[in-house]
Amino acid sequence: MSNRVAPLPRSGGGQRPHAIYLAIGFPPAAKSSAYRLRETANQFVAMGWDITVITICQEAWEREYGLDHTLSEKVDPRVKVIELPLMREDLETDIRAFSEERSIDPVGWISRLRKREQKIFPERDFGGWRYELEKAVVQQHRQHPADLLISSCAPYVNLAATWKLWEEYRVPYAVDFRDGWSLDVIGGGEAFTRDSVSGRWESKVLEHALAVWCVNDPIAGFYRERYPHLADRVHVVRNGYDEDSLPDVSGRSPDPNAGLTFGYLGSVNFTPAFLESVLDGWRIARRNDPILARSRFEVRGHIGAGPIREANRHMDLLKEAAVDNVSFGGPVPKSDLAATYGSWDALVLMLVGGRFVTSGKVYEFMATGLPVLSAHDVDHDASNILAGHPLWTGAVGLDPHRLADSFSEAARMALKATDEDRATARQLARRFARPAVLAPAVRHLTELVQPTPAGVPAPAATASTGDVQP
Amino acid sequence: MIEILMVMGTVPGRVAVLTDALEQFRAKGVIVRVATTFDPVENTPAATELAEVHRLPTSAELGSRFVRMAKRANPARRPWLRAQRDPWVRRHAKRADVLVALDAHALHTVWHLAQRHRRADAVYGIAPALRAVEKRSADPARYRRPRLNTTGPAPVVLASATRSQTVDLAKRVFEMSTGKRAMKLGPVRWFWQGAVTAPGLPERHRGRIARRVTGNMLESGHAASAKRLALAAQGRLGPTTRGPLLDPIVDAELSQGKVSEHLMTVVRSHLKLADGFLKKRNPGKAEPHVLRAFNLMFHRIVQFDGTTSPLAEDPEKFLAPLHDSEAGRAMAAPRGRQSPAAFPPAGRPHRMLFFTGLNDNFLGPILDRYEAMPGVEVRRLNLREESILPVLSNGRTNVVQHLLAGSSKRADEVQEAWGPHLDWADTVFVDWCNLGAAMLTMIDPGTTRVVVRLHSFEAFSWWPHLTDWSRVDDLVFVSEHLRDLALAAVPRLGAPQGPRTHMINNAMELHRYVTPKVSADSRFTLGLVGLSSLAKDPRWALAVLRELRRRDERYRLKLIGDALDPKLSPAIEAYVRELDAELAELESSGAVVRTGRTDDVPGALTDVGVILSTSLRESFHCALVEGAASGAVPVVRDWPFFAGRPHSARTLFPSDWVVGTPEEAAERILALTASEEVWREAGRAASAHVLSTWDWSVTQKDFDRLLLEPPATAD
Repeated sequence: MSNRVAPLPRSGGGQRPHAIYLAIGFPPAAKSSAYRLRETANQFVAMGWDITVITICQEAWEREYGLDHTLSEKVDPRVKVIELPLMREDLETDIRAFSEERSIDPVGWISRLRKREQKIFPERDFGGWRYELEKAVVQQHRQHPADLLISSCAPYVNLAATWKLWEEYRVPYAVDFRDGWSLDVIGGGEAFTRDSVSGRWESKVLEHALAVWCVNDPIAGFYRERYPHLADRVHVVRNGYDEDSLPDVSGRSPDPNAGLTFGYLGSVNFTPAFLESVLDGWRIARRNDPILARSRFEVRGHIGAGPIREANRHMDLLKEAAVDNVSFGGPVPKSDLAATYGSWDALVLMLVGGRFVTSGKVYEFMATGLPVLSAHDVDHDASNILAGHPLWTGAVGLDPHRLADSFSEAARMALKATDEDRATARQLARRFARPAVLAPAVRHLTELVQPTPAGVPAPAATASTGDVQP
Repeated sequence: MIEILMVMGTVPGRVAVLTDALEQFRAKGVIVRVATTFDPVENTPAATELAEVHRLPTSAELGSRFVRMAKRANPARRPWLRAQRDPWVRRHAKRADVLVALDAHALHTVWHLAQRHRRADAVYGIAPALRAVEKRSADPARYRRPRLNTTGPAPVVLASATRSQTVDLAKRVFEMSTGKRAMKLGPVRWFWQGAVTAPGLPERHRGRIARRVTGNMLESGHAASAKRLALAAQGRLGPTTRGPLLDPIVDAELSQGKVSEHLMTVVRSHLKLADGFLKKRNPGKAEPHVLRAFNLMFHRIVQFDGTTSPLAEDPEKFLAPLHDSEAGRAMAAPRGRQSPAAFPPAGRPHRMLFFTGLNDNFLGPILDRYEAMPGVEVRRLNLREESILPVLSNGRTNVVQHLLAGSSKRADEVQEAWGPHLDWADTVFVDWCNLGAAMLTMIDPGTTRVVVRLHSFEAFSWWPHLTDWSRVDDLVFVSEHLRDLALAAVPRLGAPQGPRTHMINNAMELHRYVTPKVSADSRFTLGLVGLSSLAKDPRWALAVLRELRRRDERYRLKLIGDALDPKLSPAIEAYVRELDAELAELESSGAVVRTGRTDDVPGALTDVGVILSTSLRESFHCALVEGAASGAVPVVRDWPFFAGRPHSARTLFPSDWVVGTPEEAAERILALTASEEVWREAGRAASAHVLSTWDWSVTQKDFDRLLLEPPATAD
């Protein structure tokens, strides 16, 4: 550990405060987290901060879910973005970049790579980025001293860089933990113990964090229970939706004779068996319901990464379902979201996990004002969000027969929904508009960090940071 | 026009994705050619309509030299070896703008093609291929310009080719000089013996060479040379390499019916290897070594088909390598139970669950009794039922995996299949301490009391070492000498978390054997019932018979039961050969009669005056006791496996029944068959003894005490 403590002056004293924001996945990365990262950065700027976003190069995202430059259009031009030349080696698809050893044993090569990476930092695929990230934040701090560092996870390797800046320059930090690290949000249990390497990293970094943000109450509850002495620093900062993604749904009157269009938009990150259940439910519904027999089901979003991008079992299932009027149309640029939603009559909300998973898309689905068919566990946090939505079929689990009933119910809702129903649904979602969610959280952090004229930090805000109540 | 060459190393699971991509390429006006390692017409017919699909030449087409070379090569390199020799691939790779590996098995081939044709893009996966095509279409001029770094093959190709050719040559020389054909030559064998013991050779190479050479020496019929070499190399090898080297030697000796003196060296080596993997938290890799150690320690030649068994002679010493190993300790770790067994509440029947189906020979009277008993409700869990069999499949491997890892999916399956039965039952009775008992103790039995009965063979097997005794409440033995042996072999049976142990003799309905003898001359007929294992040692009976006939030619021997199956093991084969030679003479003179198997044993015993137990080991020997019940005079060999121990045949039966040698047996028979009166009186006394001691009417009380009364302390 270095003995140097804050040798550089802070940027206070009348100037704009400066925050370094570790936000891997920042636009133009076509990732679901990009919206949250963008809004956070914009909110900081709006509250008078200079903000420097540290993310990875655009080529790296091409290997994964690709790029959506329309996402960058709404990034405040005052946000400074630094792209580090870091890429996931395991997703490399250029065979010329392969060693002969990798070409002979690709699985073994990746497994050895992961072992090496995890020796550096205990996180698969990203652990190897530690030193570059550390170097980048330190360099940035030297160039433009930071008053705050915000670390958005995943990847959790960001925590190493966060700690480095704290250790060397005592730069205060907050962790936007989103889904948390030591919690297995899908399985519902502990992902690793406190005495494991990851556990030690997590507890060490959280110990000094000004604030820890989580996306829902169950995750926040988990962390408050795991670290009782940090309970008052753990806050719920939900995901939300962007107004410009919403379609105009007023005055709709779908034609039952032409059939309806159901849509799913998001990453296809669930298991093939999950998708199969939904497709089976769709087929049963088409057999039983003449309107659905004339209807279509469009799936849009990202499927697979690296060499199996759009070439995995999910794709096979979707192609096989083409005879049932199921189609896959690839990702949708942010600028086309509203039009895409607008072309659909009902939405199919496919979500993995249970009570610890909320996801971002539930807010957007809810805010469209279109009927929402839930295809997820009954005990899922999305059910809490959607409760009270007038055009929600309710969660019935993943039994295909019950899902078939939900498809019929959603079709009925789509045909009978009035403008009033749609407006009620939108109104209900309004509390989850992204600025409404993130602005209080950013304000709270600002209050925690910004020195008062007397040089004493302002007292911490007591209000909830972002979990705005209706 | 853009040209693509795709390579598929394995039949794609996603044909729809592939055909969709081919359609997309076609729509873009791209020429696509696909090289496959398999028959495309049979496996991807749809693709053949959308692109020019070509199968790489097969090994058969490329000739035997190629087959040998491919065999030597790393399997991942084999598709490339085929592609390299294919003019179609060479021609189209040269023209291709994009080279695509569609799966991991095709990667190496495309890697090589990419080194040779540097002008082309080389990508892995369909989406990257589409992207590469889009890039080329967007700026075709850029790709037309020749560049220095894309002209001609990469220098790495030459280096790689030279390296692989050198490696291949070295492998060929090694294979030839260590092959079976070479091992037929004395000087070659002599050379390798010197080579594997030469100083300075790294252990991993020494071990590998020595293993191959000994294996081929054995296969070419030079077992002595193989053994000499393996022993010579021992001093220069570590404990984990020594064992695998001696493995085939030990196997070869076992297959000849001999117990190798190196057996335990190999066992220790495998256990050490297993311990190494456990230390690295890799129980999956430890498991095959544990199974191998078990297979050797409890091999039938070692434990069952000899006149003695190292386990019976000194169980603690024989099993010390297992008990002292990490693997042994992991398997012995008690998982315990959440709640103690509960005695059934008053006011409802006692619910008993019996595991049946695997061997119910000794269970009949017990089941009959409790099924007919008011206040007891009996259910049978038939382990041969189709719904249960999948749970038992590959059972030993799964139990070992479970014990080494501490948990397993199979345990969940057992819980799912058997849990409801256990929830129902107050008491579960598992006859035989084998697979059923081991799998049952993978799960917590809740408050159900678990009773297991161990007969005999199990004590000489791995099963008691795979049973979690902290989940068994009562363990029943059928004789004291088996209890002694099991307690010595499985120390955790005596641990505080171990079960209570009981000795309850087999349930036998002996009254049905009490029938009059056909004549006074029956006293000259000796009977031996049950011959199907070598442990019954019928040759000892022949020795007794010969001794008797030396004095009186009226004595004869009746052998009842299935003959020994010589195919079971080389030791049995050798035994049967000698038995048949002896029988040839005795049968022709009428001194021995073989009746074969009969369902009417009481009927078959009516002309038997003397019943023999000639076994090397028994737990109880029901057939002898049944013969005694019939009025035949019992003559029992002091079973050698247990002779001289605190408990043996001599403590189980009245001491005058038991003899040490064939001569002593003959003396007892001559004395007790000297006259009809003496013989009948001795037979009556023996019958009265067995009926009053071991008839089910007597022993059932012991079972009632065990199963129906609240548990007391151990006997």
